[in-house]
Amino acid sequence: MNVSPSRFDAIPLRLDFEDVEVGTELPPLVKGPLTTTHLMRWSAAIENWHKIHYDAQFAVEHDKLPGLLVNGTLKQQIIAQLLKDWAGREGWVWKVSFQFRGMNRVGETLSAWGRVTTKTAHPAFGLVELEVGLMNGEGKESTPGKATLALPFRGGPAVPYPFVPPVV
Amino acid sequence: MDESVRNYIGIETEEVLACDPVEAGAVRRFAQAYGDIDPIYRDSDARFGGPVAPLIYPSQMFRRDFYDADPIDERASDPDFDGLGQNATQGLPAIEPLAHLSSLNGGNELEFFRFARHGERVTLKSRYADIYERETSKGKMIFVITESEYRGEGGDLIVRATRTQIRR
Repeated sequence: MNVSPSRFDAIPLRLDFEDVEVGTELPPLVKGPLTTTHLMRWSAAIENWHKIHYDAQFAVEHDKLPGLLVNGTLKQQIIAQLLKDWAGREGWVWKVSFQFRGMNRVGETLSAWGRVTTKTAHPAFGLVELEVGLMNGEGKESTPGKATLALPFRGGPAVPYPFVPPVV
Repeated sequence: MDESVRNYIGIETEEVLACDPVEAGAVRRFAQAYGDIDPIYRDSDARFGGPVAPLIYPSQMFRRDFYDADPIDERASDPDFDGLGQNATQGLPAIEPLAHLSSLNGGNELEFFRFARHGERVTLKSRYADIYERETSKGKMIFVITESEYRGEGGDLIVRATRTQIRR
């Protein structure tokens, strides 16, 4: 099997609810520097031709932006990947929300981060709420948000799949 | 804000089918474009019932169908064309009174129930949930809130997305 070397070799397939504490920080996921080529490749992959990601003249002169911008859709992917990898195969990313508060310009390196804020045990799994975001190389936050993950209990079965939200 | 804009609140689409099923090649380009080389996107995984697409992928599947008009051709001479076609509005009618304003992705709330499987057809139903104007530090901006539900062939919910587009 020709699986590229990736961070998956280093990621546990399972994270138990008991292994997580309020305040636990996720190992950050770093992408970049993100070049115009990265942005063009992403735009092509999703067939979204918004010029502010590859047409510098349009971005600056027409839309009055400081330059080419990293796609919001790409930024949310980085946060979703951070969460999916951390939750493991037997957990589940239930919810994630973010605000695109700040622009990230081409050339920046972005680091997705997460920090556990609450833990709640439910009958079939535990729910973990997190603050998440995307920091650039200068430490500026652009994409603050929240997430809710379901994790299995130690010694218990995987989180049911497809995921069925708890009845509140 | 032109009051006629409020008439768009509550407008919803019919349930539409994505132009293509979840395709292995499209999934590969998508995952490679943001650097998520996870074996579950290529190899069969018992827990997920076969190879799957990234969590957010279903929300990016609604693209220009084979016989659809080509906005890039149609607006090739329009200096205000920002490159966006119908995929920017999730199948909803464009908000004509806002046509002259630029568009920025303000944020997203995503709720995931399962992965979409390779070969699967996905449907979308969207509605304009809210449209309002707010004074911000950068002047008046119009917030367009769109809710979208992505379902599998059996009608089960895969992803629910609530998007905020900022028009200014």
